Amino acid sequence: MKNDRFLNLAIRYGFLVLLAILIVFFSLSASGFATPRSAVFILQSVAITGILALGVTCTLVVDGFDLSIGSVATSALMLSAYSMVILEHSAVVAVLLCLAMGALVGLINGLLIVKFRVPDLLATLGMMFLLIGLQRIPTQGNSIATGMRLSDGSAAEGTFSAAFLWLGRHRFDFFLERLVPVPVVVFLLIAVAIWVFLELTRHGRLMYAIGSNERAASLVGANVNRYKIVAYMISGVTASIGGILLAARLGRGDIASGNNLLLDSVAAALIGFAVLGAARANAFGTAIGALFVGILLQGLTMMNAPYYTQDFVKGVILVAALVFTFYLSARRGASGKTSTNTK
Amino acid sequence: MRKLVCQLQGINKSFGQNHVLRGVDFSLFAGEIVVLMGANGAGKSTLVKLICGYHTLDDGSMALDGEPYQPADPASAIAAGVVTVHQSINDGVIPDLDISTNLMLDQLTKPRAGLWVRDGRLRKDAQAVAQSMGITTDVRTRVADLGVADRQMIAIARAMARAPKVLILDEPTSSLSAAEAERLFSLLDTLRQQGVAILYISHRMSDVRRVADRIVCMRDGAISGVFADQPLDYDGAVTAMLGHSIQETGIELASAGKPVLALKELCIEPDSTPIDFTANEGEIVAITGLLGSGKSRLADILFGIKPPGAGEMFLDNQPYQPNTCAQAVEAGVFMSPKDRSSNAVVPEFSIANNMSLPFLNMFCRWGILSSRLQKSASDQMIDELGIVCQSANDDINTLSGGNQQKVIVGRWLLKPCRVLLLDEPFQGVDIGARRDIGRRIRETSDNRATIVFVSETDEALEIADRILVLHESRVVGEHVNQQINMDALVEQVSGAQVTPSVATSS
Amino acid sequence: MFISTLQKAVAAATLSAGLIGTTNAADMPAPFDNPGEVKIALVRYLSTGDFFQSYLGGVESQAAAIGVDLRVFDSRQDAALQADMVDQAIALGVDGIIIQHGLTESMKDAAQRAVDAGIKVVAFDVNVENDAIPQVEQSDYLLGKMALDQALEDNGNSFTAGYVYVPGIAPLDRRDVAWQEVKDANPGITEAAMFGTLDNPIANSVANQARSVLQANPNINVVFAPYDEFAKGVKIAVDEAGLTDDIDIYSADVSTADISAMREPGSAWVATVATNPAVVGEVSVRSLALMLAGEDPGANVIVPPTLITQSFLNENDIKNMEDLGEKMPQFQHADVAVADWIPLPAR
Repeated sequence: MKNDRFLNLAIRYGFLVLLAILIVFFSLSASGFATPRSAVFILQSVAITGILALGVTCTLVVDGFDLSIGSVATSALMLSAYSMVILEHSAVVAVLLCLAMGALVGLINGLLIVKFRVPDLLATLGMMFLLIGLQRIPTQGNSIATGMRLSDGSAAEGTFSAAFLWLGRHRFDFFLERLVPVPVVVFLLIAVAIWVFLELTRHGRLMYAIGSNERAASLVGANVNRYKIVAYMISGVTASIGGILLAARLGRGDIASGNNLLLDSVAAALIGFAVLGAARANAFGTAIGALFVGILLQGLTMMNAPYYTQDFVKGVILVAALVFTFYLSARRGASGKTSTNTK
Repeated sequence: MRKLVCQLQGINKSFGQNHVLRGVDFSLFAGEIVVLMGANGAGKSTLVKLICGYHTLDDGSMALDGEPYQPADPASAIAAGVVTVHQSINDGVIPDLDISTNLMLDQLTKPRAGLWVRDGRLRKDAQAVAQSMGITTDVRTRVADLGVADRQMIAIARAMARAPKVLILDEPTSSLSAAEAERLFSLLDTLRQQGVAILYISHRMSDVRRVADRIVCMRDGAISGVFADQPLDYDGAVTAMLGHSIQETGIELASAGKPVLALKELCIEPDSTPIDFTANEGEIVAITGLLGSGKSRLADILFGIKPPGAGEMFLDNQPYQPNTCAQAVEAGVFMSPKDRSSNAVVPEFSIANNMSLPFLNMFCRWGILSSRLQKSASDQMIDELGIVCQSANDDINTLSGGNQQKVIVGRWLLKPCRVLLLDEPFQGVDIGARRDIGRRIRETSDNRATIVFVSETDEALEIADRILVLHESRVVGEHVNQQINMDALVEQVSGAQVTPSVATSS
Repeated sequence: MFISTLQKAVAAATLSAGLIGTTNAADMPAPFDNPGEVKIALVRYLSTGDFFQSYLGGVESQAAAIGVDLRVFDSRQDAALQADMVDQAIALGVDGIIIQHGLTESMKDAAQRAVDAGIKVVAFDVNVENDAIPQVEQSDYLLGKMALDQALEDNGNSFTAGYVYVPGIAPLDRRDVAWQEVKDANPGITEAAMFGTLDNPIANSVANQARSVLQANPNINVVFAPYDEFAKGVKIAVDEAGLTDDIDIYSADVSTADISAMREPGSAWVATVATNPAVVGEVSVRSLALMLAGEDPGANVIVPPTLITQSFLNENDIKNMEDLGEKMPQFQHADVAVADWIPLPAR
């Protein structure tokens, strides 16, 4: 019985305790780590992958998966640059175009999965390749920057408008002057919104039900297909928001596959499984998972660890989190069953 | 005296505080079919799992051919000659492979099996096994393309390929039609002649009458009766199994109110005989029939999952044509589906969340779910149905099957409805929970029509005011549940009495 | 020393550029007396990204200027496919092949087969270990060296540096040689931190790292980032940390986007050294043309890089690569592998 209690505590709070230990360790061993600016750096470095991870969390909740988020983000990056630099749109138009693109990609993903019965991994994998190719077509594979030569020989006149760059570069005063960057605020807002949606509304509850037993959910009258499509659309829109913030930070339209964005955000969402012993996708866990990776990378970089150790460390956390989730939680479930399953 | 093959003495087995088997003595002889009867939760599955090595016993002894027998796992049980065909057929076959590979799977897993699969040889061996079992299908057919009965036959054929001393069949006819079941029975006759000891688990009376040489009844973890004298005393066996006679469960007939749900010339299948049927307010109708009788399909039609072949439905005199479950629920037609684990239970949810799932709307304030409201509604339902749990926030997986079923039925009692459909509400439910559920359904039935779909006749007798018998998608019998002519009912269910006119008794 | 020699060469190139007149096909030696009949193939290993797009543009424009028939084979980083493509080109009966990048192991035999078939071959940025095949190179060592010389000129020989480097990437390794040399020669230089990543998008990932590094090492005043994506990332971090006045960034490579980043008001990115990839493409074609005409371009054809400083960009109001080419002729054209009879692409 004592063992059971310990196991339960370990599963519930183990990851948060690990996080606290990590923070204390880096504060002591890396000078300059324990400052408000450093904390904001960490938030900023995880904001974009965190936003993508929150989107993929929604698809994980309905027992789906979205491999296309990375390429949706880089497509939004290219689209915003194309819209402002070449078509000379305003920031508002560029942002709306990107959001619409994200929603459309999500809708197509959803329709492929629910209407055409393509397995989620395969549908979104196809979409990933499609987008990686598509984003290169309008510019024949070139990055977009003001002054680039267009196909008709003239130079692109448009620029990234100040309002758009504000999204990536402005910092709000918060205790300290110019402390909190816009992407961090956006990340926190989206995290709260997704958390409220998944945990507190009936739609979120039904999405969890669909993920756990799709048939049961449909037999209580839930429109399973619609919820699944909505999940992919949320994922597409959040990914495009990530891409917009990325474009605003970089200030140009870079060609990129976004695969690292995909892997990092999926890792954050999976690490989130282990937070508070949830053993399933959840918004709070995802945000903590993203922070966890961010803190670790910031600390390691400050201690001059080479880049390949960072990939290794990310892998270690992920494996540990998965063990937490699938082994320990399963054991808890099993011990719970034998003690109470009376026939 | 025939040869004693398997003997169990003083078997005890507990799970936690739950004493499942209490001093069971039991023996099996060569060339004999013993039917093991028992209500759900009587302990027969546990007994089988002990014999076939899934569980180890706490106390007592087992012997096989006079030698001590203590299987550590299912594989060693098989090696010792005890082979089991489990109820869930798909555990026994690999759908993506062909019949020959399925039949010869053991050859492929043998430790000294060669590296190469010789298909020709495999097929020839498989052909021999198939022929001996009366399987005529081409052995190159993929198992996925076969019907349920053929798959069952293949699972049994594979068991026979191991030349067992003891063959255990757990409810083998539960998914077979009458004709298919007959094929199985004649196979069992052959095996009996070959001297195999067969333990046949079922509480389907038609099976029992057909195959039993001896009947052993279990109740509450102990042997409650052994019937070996010819002719076998079937009624006595049922009484021993249930602890009371089947006719005893007196139903006080409810007075039926105005019609609620009416089916006009409705065809369950596109080419089946149309049926007319009316369910009235305050009344509980049981629709019974074997697998393939069309009762599951009828339930699906009423709940908007499948379209009817033809005909019309009326709800409170208004046309009723649901295209989705959501529309059915909207119209006030609720259904608790069969097979709760795949169709109803959300395994990661608490009791409160599982129960309130269809009506989350009711528990929202400003669009935000209130767990307090969910819990208080669930707590009330837990009381009314007598669900055994610590709190409404318990994980649903911590509950026993019967309590889970109560949660699933309770789900649809949260809100009043016009028609409540219950598809196999007593499937995998122990006798106590079954009584609780039945009582609660009868208590609440005043302002709606209730239709219960069950394949077990005794379950229908226990709950319904009126019983309808379906066979091959048409109504073959209708009985008011008072002094029913049991023989007629059983014959109608099994399809033995198939007359064009609707047979009735009262 | 080396640099001054190079500058002389560049100056000479600038002068001679004006002297090269237009020629017409009739003046060209065989087989270019009928250039439409000459087929050449470009077999590529790397193709996505600005550099490779621009290189291809140079190859195309030089090929068009001469009038030869150019076929482009793109293996998209598939080493085996690239070797097969050489065989395809042989089967197509081309007269010359340019091998652009690739792996020595996979290309060595394929290149030999082409030579055996009597086809003239040049290789760009891949060593195919074949004496009959001249190597066209942009000097990565010089890219690094010239940027660091500028850093020494601006900051003296004593400063605290951050260095962005990912080992194992051939051009970066060659630029690293220059860094190690300069560090050894100037004991006043302290390398406070080395970092770097190729996680995509690279600039964003490097920016995240650079933020941490600058936080941990506030005394850094020079960052050597010998790849423009690295420099871009460091610049973002410097801007975000509000350190634009305290830190100077020196890098390699250039693009239109880089020019605008360098010219942002108060930009910390003060200098870069680059070879124009289009020029490298032109040089590749010209080297091949020389070989086809029976002349010898030399075993190593090195395209010299150019130093581009922020102040130069600002003084001449340079907005994009085209402006840069106009205002900085040595960037537009390299006087390498030229001959009187070879027409240059129109500007």
